Amino acid sequence: MRRAADRGLGSADVAPEPLTLLPDLSLQYRRGHVARLEAAPSRTGGLNDSHATLPTRMSDFAPDLALGETRRPGFARRWAQLAQRGVVDLWSRQRLIRYMVGAEMKRTHADTVIGQIWWILDPILQVVVYFLVFGIIFKRTTPDFLLFLLSGVLPWKWFSSAIGETMGSVVARQSLVRQVPFPKIVLPVSSTLASTVSFIIGLISLALVFLLYLHRLTFWILFLPYIALVQFVFTLSLAIVLSAANAFYRDVSNVMQHVLRLWFYVSPILYTVDDLPKSPTVHFLFMLNPFAVLLSAYHTVIWGTADGAAQGPPDLVALTVLLALSCVALLVAIAIFKRVEPAFARIL
Amino acid sequence: MKNDARPSSGAILVRDLGVRYNLRLTRRTTIKGDLSNFIRRRDVGPQHFWALRHFDLHVAPGESLGVLGPNGAGKSTLLLALAGILDPTEGQVRVRGRVSTLLTLGAGFEMDLSGRDNIDLVAALLGIDHKRVVELTPGIIEFADIGAFIDAPVKTYSTGMRARLGFSIATAVKPDILLLDEVLGTGDQTFRDRSQQRIHDLMDQAKAIVLVTHDLNSVAEFCTRAILMEQGQLIYEGTPADTVDLYRQRGEERKLLAEREGGRFTA
Repeated sequence: MRRAADRGLGSADVAPEPLTLLPDLSLQYRRGHVARLEAAPSRTGGLNDSHATLPTRMSDFAPDLALGETRRPGFARRWAQLAQRGVVDLWSRQRLIRYMVGAEMKRTHADTVIGQIWWILDPILQVVVYFLVFGIIFKRTTPDFLLFLLSGVLPWKWFSSAIGETMGSVVARQSLVRQVPFPKIVLPVSSTLASTVSFIIGLISLALVFLLYLHRLTFWILFLPYIALVQFVFTLSLAIVLSAANAFYRDVSNVMQHVLRLWFYVSPILYTVDDLPKSPTVHFLFMLNPFAVLLSAYHTVIWGTADGAAQGPPDLVALTVLLALSCVALLVAIAIFKRVEPAFARIL
Repeated sequence: MKNDARPSSGAILVRDLGVRYNLRLTRRTTIKGDLSNFIRRRDVGPQHFWALRHFDLHVAPGESLGVLGPNGAGKSTLLLALAGILDPTEGQVRVRGRVSTLLTLGAGFEMDLSGRDNIDLVAALLGIDHKRVVELTPGIIEFADIGAFIDAPVKTYSTGMRARLGFSIATAVKPDILLLDEVLGTGDQTFRDRSQQRIHDLMDQAKAIVLVTHDLNSVAEFCTRAILMEQGQLIYEGTPADTVDLYRQRGEERKLLAEREGGRFTA
């Protein structure tokens, strides 16, 4: 008999909402029919009295929480607020970021026999492979080729591993994103920081290789932290955007794999800027690649020039312009991330 | 938190809450899939799904609310919205006081870190002040009662041990509002008794609790009020005993209905 009553509710005055995903149980209730009376069996009718005595507005028992209207600020203002909130999130969660970086460091190579030594061995072995292929088979005549290769491979390895790891950082922690409320922006940032720590440890390999090329060691190497800072800001801004994009479309990581490979070859890692055709147009286009600027700077302060001439100062103007642009990009990236952050728990 | 001083600061108000999932972007979407659907103008079915709609609720301080309903009724979505993990698509959610979620015990654990390190990590994740974490740690370790394992990596723990540590962390912070999703009754009998004792303690301290469960006994045991949800809507609200009865009754009805439909199809 009750089912008949339900049907009556569904057809007479109420158009049932299409709940196509759920089996039709004849249990639809229209808006406003939050069916305490209609659906409850009659013997529970008394309970509606208790409901009536309960406060129905927050202001009844918590005046300071009365629901209020908020005015929507303008476009620029909104994005500035998003960026600001992201920066505040990061600043206030420093400890969390530190723990997450620590956990990530512990996880990588945790199950290998020689553990952390791989961080130093990895770039050296990679450089040895390039040395065998290009130095011995293709007979490149670049002087002190090993040092040259390492000064480009180390920063590139940092960049590609940071992008690779960070891109999946939100997706990889999807259970966390769905279960714990916390500012998700700590995920890409701690992931990029973990790659940075690996890079810094990997610099030990550079020190080891320098033992073979002590005549190449100059004070210009003190510019290294500045160049690395520029690279860090650039990498972080790109990585944050990619980690958010990858949460929506997993294709992003597939595409980026190939973009990174192409990027590797158009950047002066296996060759120098001097190997390019001597045309101002080519040179200009080439230098639009931030990594052309960065890697040339690394080469200049670590290795010097092809004719064996001394190292010199890096192109500080180009580096500083890149730093400024990267800082802007970073703020935009943080704002974009904050903008889409609420959707993560919904789509992951 | 200034509110900590006042014991009666826990309160939840939900007004006309709606949470909509975008089916197009949910899970493993690729650009290709989107494109091919677009090009072929294939009818991809509903693009959105309202997990909750026009939902009103209030929980007063000291109350313990049980949430019942069949699978897919929107119970978990409700907890996610209360926890601030999901933003409401429409309507408003106001929660006063510190919320602690126990949606899954052991969420956020890093398998390679020790139990002790994980206490720090999860506490930082929940945004607990470091000084408080240092104060709370001995109590958390004692309550979890996992012995020397506290210094071993969490990956060596049994499921029960992980759940115990998770429960211990989530309740140690003395939340004003505790959200629980199917997590009671984990671990052995001793731990069950102790966790029930702790839930009772939290309730005595005038904290609000929202408990989602299919375990009808724990609703009767823990809750002061219960609601029944179906298809994203609140359909009944009353004493735990009445709500459990109605839930059972509707379950029977659904079973009969399914049997009848099934019979029609096979006939």
